Amino acid sequence: MIRIGNASGFYGDRLSAVREQLEGGELDVLTGDYLAELTMLILGRDRMKDSSLGYARTFLRQMEDCLALALDKGVKIVVNAGGLNPEGLARKLDAKVGYVTGDDLKARFPEALTANAYLGAWEIADCLDQGAQVVVTGRVTDASLVVGPAAAHFGWARDDWDELAGATVAGHVLECGTQATGGNYAFFTEIDATRPGFPIAEIDEDGSCLITKHDGTGGAVTVDTVTAQLLYEIGAPEYLGPDVTTHFDTIKLDEHPRGVRISGTRGSPPPDTLKVCLNTLGGFRNNTTFVLTGLDVDAKAELVKRQLHEAIGDEGLTWTLARTDHPDADTEERASALLHVTIRTTDPKRAKGFSRAAVELALASYPGFHVTAPPGDGTPFGVYRAAYVHRGEVSAKAVLL
Amino acid sequence: MKRPLGTIVGARSGDKGGDANLGVWTRTEEAYEWLNGFLTTAKLKELLPEAGEVSRYELPNLKALNFVLHGLLGDGVASSTRFDPQAKALGEWLRSREVEIPEALL
Repeated sequence: MIRIGNASGFYGDRLSAVREQLEGGELDVLTGDYLAELTMLILGRDRMKDSSLGYARTFLRQMEDCLALALDKGVKIVVNAGGLNPEGLARKLDAKVGYVTGDDLKARFPEALTANAYLGAWEIADCLDQGAQVVVTGRVTDASLVVGPAAAHFGWARDDWDELAGATVAGHVLECGTQATGGNYAFFTEIDATRPGFPIAEIDEDGSCLITKHDGTGGAVTVDTVTAQLLYEIGAPEYLGPDVTTHFDTIKLDEHPRGVRISGTRGSPPPDTLKVCLNTLGGFRNNTTFVLTGLDVDAKAELVKRQLHEAIGDEGLTWTLARTDHPDADTEERASALLHVTIRTTDPKRAKGFSRAAVELALASYPGFHVTAPPGDGTPFGVYRAAYVHRGEVSAKAVLL
Repeated sequence: MKRPLGTIVGARSGDKGGDANLGVWTRTEEAYEWLNGFLTTAKLKELLPEAGEVSRYELPNLKALNFVLHGLLGDGVASSTRFDPQAKALGEWLRSREVEIPEALL
């Protein structure tokens, strides 16, 4: 059995989670997911400003605080915090560090700001086999952070499909941190959801596992909390990954005194292609929200729309009117509707001009004019798209420093 | 009886590029049997009129259904001008819709 914990479900998750997982009980490996589709774009913009960046900086703070503790306890760390610059992050850590590279396909997709193939578990396993105490990756599938250490620990073969599928399920349950332990949970009123503990998978040699969490932490691990996370961000029951296709319609869940047992998961060979996460700069966006209080809400909305269109034109503007107002209301807030307007444009000057035009209406528009917050200068936005390349076109590598 | 769907159905939703996924599950076999018959693609679209093209998958082992709402989020989270661009609360919206639920399941 190998005990694999998770301490991060996204870039920005609870900073103290690494310490909580290391101090809360026994673990063999601690993993963390820092990369969402949107995160790659954020890191891409970091890298544009400073080519030495492009990784999740919060992970570095966590390691400044906890790396010595992890090494002392013999807990290995496996994270995708390397983002667009795994080597850069790896070189900042004082331990035996391995990193995974080869996911960057910008040369193949030159029009993209970021282009990264979703790599699998085997390079992570390779780093661990070579004695890495910390493994830092860029874009690997979230589940690979769990599959890699399990595959290395048990010496699984590349065609141990059921074992790999079982570990993929464990990884999918863990990848969003506390979403498996009662965070964002539909029946939250039935548990103590104040401060859910981070999840742990105790994986067995056959790929089955027990989902649990440290004693004394908040939240809950039940068939319902685990089911909720299994359903997160999936499509067809055949869950395609770089190392195995996992059949979600074969998963079996059972209550256990310490959490939930997952067994029965079947796997089959993965597709010949790898998914690529592409982010391109789409343009600039800006937005504001007008508050419309009391009488004539529709007419007030019409007036401000007409005024803004006259000032800057209607191209790229999206309006929605949220009728949060109530007639004859006993509070001002309950008397108010919210008129949201967003602009998307390829011209940064137009995104900025939007703000000026909205502000200039302040004394010249509907009675009771105000906005929830003054609009800023506008920000660049990305467009995400997935592409697929043959796996032969990607050469993933494990490097030990 | 007319009750919010969320009385007996849990949900979790999220984004994959421009698509939203919406998983729903029940806590008993009887409730799953009812839900699987009740919540067709057409019914989902009726309850969530903002949905366009929808794929539906059955996961009886989890007493769950998974829906993919294609194109709901436009070009994806970073560019979407949609209210709730990552579809995080899509499931809670669905759970709040009032539907006829057999009394035996309540």
